[in-house]
Amino acid sequence: MERRTREYLTGRFGDYYRGAAVTPPPAASDREWGHIPFTSGEGTTMVRHQSLLDIAGGPADLPDFLAREGPRHVYFSAARYDDPGSRSMAEKGWQSADLIFDLDADHLPSVDPETASYPEMLAACKEALVDLLDLLQRDFGFGDEEMQIVFSGSRGYHVHVRDESVRTLDSDARREIVDYVRGIGLAEDGLIESRPNENGVLQKHLRLDGGWGRRVHEELLSYADELREMSQPAALERLQELDGVGETTADSIHDTVTDDLEQLRRGNLEIGSGARTLVRALTERVVDDQSVPVDEPVTTDLRRLIRLPGSLHGDTGFVVEPIELDAVAEFDPLEDAVAERFRGRRVMIDVTDPGPVPVGGDGRDDSFRFSEGTQSVREFVGVYLLARGRAEKAAE
Amino acid sequence: MEPVDARYPFLGRAREAVRASGVDLTTLVATADPVVDRARERVERALLDGTTESETPHDWDTREELLSYPVARILVSLLDADAAVEKYATAEAQTAHTRFTSDFVSSDGRRDRIDRQTLLAEFDLAADCRAEPARPTGDSTSSRAGRGTASTRRGSDWFWLGVGSYLSLADPTWGTEWRLVNRELADGEVRVTREELDKLLEAGVRARVAAGLPFEGVDDAVAAELEREVSDLRELLAERTGTTEVDTLAPELFPPCLRGLLDRVRQEESISPQARFALLAFLAAIGLDQQEVLMLSHGELTVDTVDKTLEVLRDGDGTQYPPPSCRTLEAYGVCENTDDHRSVAGHPLDYYEKKLRRADDVTDWRERETT
Repeated sequence: MERRTREYLTGRFGDYYRGAAVTPPPAASDREWGHIPFTSGEGTTMVRHQSLLDIAGGPADLPDFLAREGPRHVYFSAARYDDPGSRSMAEKGWQSADLIFDLDADHLPSVDPETASYPEMLAACKEALVDLLDLLQRDFGFGDEEMQIVFSGSRGYHVHVRDESVRTLDSDARREIVDYVRGIGLAEDGLIESRPNENGVLQKHLRLDGGWGRRVHEELLSYADELREMSQPAALERLQELDGVGETTADSIHDTVTDDLEQLRRGNLEIGSGARTLVRALTERVVDDQSVPVDEPVTTDLRRLIRLPGSLHGDTGFVVEPIELDAVAEFDPLEDAVAERFRGRRVMIDVTDPGPVPVGGDGRDDSFRFSEGTQSVREFVGVYLLARGRAEKAAE
Repeated sequence: MEPVDARYPFLGRAREAVRASGVDLTTLVATADPVVDRARERVERALLDGTTESETPHDWDTREELLSYPVARILVSLLDADAAVEKYATAEAQTAHTRFTSDFVSSDGRRDRIDRQTLLAEFDLAADCRAEPARPTGDSTSSRAGRGTASTRRGSDWFWLGVGSYLSLADPTWGTEWRLVNRELADGEVRVTREELDKLLEAGVRARVAAGLPFEGVDDAVAAELEREVSDLRELLAERTGTTEVDTLAPELFPPCLRGLLDRVRQEESISPQARFALLAFLAAIGLDQQEVLMLSHGELTVDTVDKTLEVLRDGDGTQYPPPSCRTLEAYGVCENTDDHRSVAGHPLDYYEKKLRRADDVTDWRERETT
């Protein structure tokens, strides 16, 4: 990155912070802060182990600090400390930490980072976010007020959970939450329990009051509905697509879903020989569809630094944009995370690495390309290319 | 001081009763009050039998039983070993579990009993735990609609506990059924059976007892009075030491008996097979591999012997057989308690761990420049 580019980005990032209302997180003074300035070399140096008092004098002065410094990246700790500015972790005095979930396109099994385009990655990541929020709300009971949902500014999303009941959990307990969300370690026995029927006889039942058992049960009922709406031959054929289901088992399952629906609703699995097989096959499907590949180390690290919502991501120029829960479905990062400050004008840049650009186009596909050389572009496109290292700032 | 305080001495109300009684523990210890005997028994049984219940319960009154708890905590602190805290807290918790599970189902109205609601409240779980309303037999459709309050005596078979509390108390190593992924989790609550809830309460007791142990700053006069008790208990503990987490090599901090053995080996003196085994078991326990043992012994422990012995000693994550205690080494004629080093710890590993912990700036022997 050339000096002109560096100075331009530092200045314009500062301008952004002058106009942006960046809200510090709760208990901002109890957290460690860190930032990375725009520097000349390849390497990045993080300035960390700072309290808010060290960098800005207090939460109210944070915007001034950001405007003055125009940092490339800004972070704060998920943890709250007695003495956040202390250099050694032991002396910091850990009190608690927000529960953080990180979704990154790099970790999605449905995305091949070699071939997927940036917009495709972001779309896949948002689908995972929707699944994650469903687990966090319905299973973990976290409400709108306890969660902050944020576009990371690059290839994913963060969810900050600040519910008091989880803030003091240790790393092992958080790993349990990660494994739950990822569906890791799910045992068939964990889905099933023995309950007495009206005659006191113990029967195997799906545990349908919560957890993955409830999700499997919901899938079971909706699958049964689909089968009942089909002709018998079609339903049998459909059943045999499942793992471990042959002709005989398919017959048995079909009888169950047509004749014993009430028992199925109750989760009774001792109705015909195929019920267990069906549950096994659907469990795999449910876990594949509904588990979420959150990045484990981020959630289990009690001292992690995480990007400040509302700040700019220095590798894209996008806003690390907070998203309201009810706005997630509509959120379009390539549109909604563009800083207003960078929309109004055009700038001169010298493109060194030409090719498709995901912002500023119409269809946002490969059709929006830049060729090499000096040209005038809309500022947010220019900021994106400069931040990515694909262009240098040219003289106006 | 109520009998219930003596049965559950870790409760807030018991602590308050001790405070209110105005008893001075220093005086108690100095006058060799029977409380001290009961306290020693508490810790001794914890180390040997996994319980703190007295073998002669009728010998002790409410006062002695209750006051023996804070004195036992002093003894455990003076032992100053993780294994002691671990075993003591586990034993207190198991003893409490036996008592409260019996209390929960009894209806004899005895005043020294406790109910589940009281215990839940003690661990701040009262508002975080509710009993599931009983469902008609045969009906297993969702029961979450009904909200009840936690029933305290028998009653419900199932409870719903806040997920934060569940995760704080449950240990996934108890078995796959304790993994959160295998639980019914809905609206931030985990469904547990009555027995599981009791096990979680036991874990709560264990954490409560272990909190703050070992504490520092035991009064010197008290420590001096308890020296004999602590020394006896340390011997018991020494026989039971398992593997260690130490991975720093600093031969000068080895206990004198093993340091002496190493010196003799280096000077090509022959030592007994038992002595060689003891030395190798110790070196294996602090994580040395064959090559490092050879270097440390200046090549005097030959590849053959080292290989075979280490093979026996090692398992997946450390050593299968802990090295012998100083008392056992004495029987081998290896340890003569030089410099009274057993007063630091009665086991070479405990001794070494403590010395390492107290030393400033130890450079690992393997990283020292050769001269």
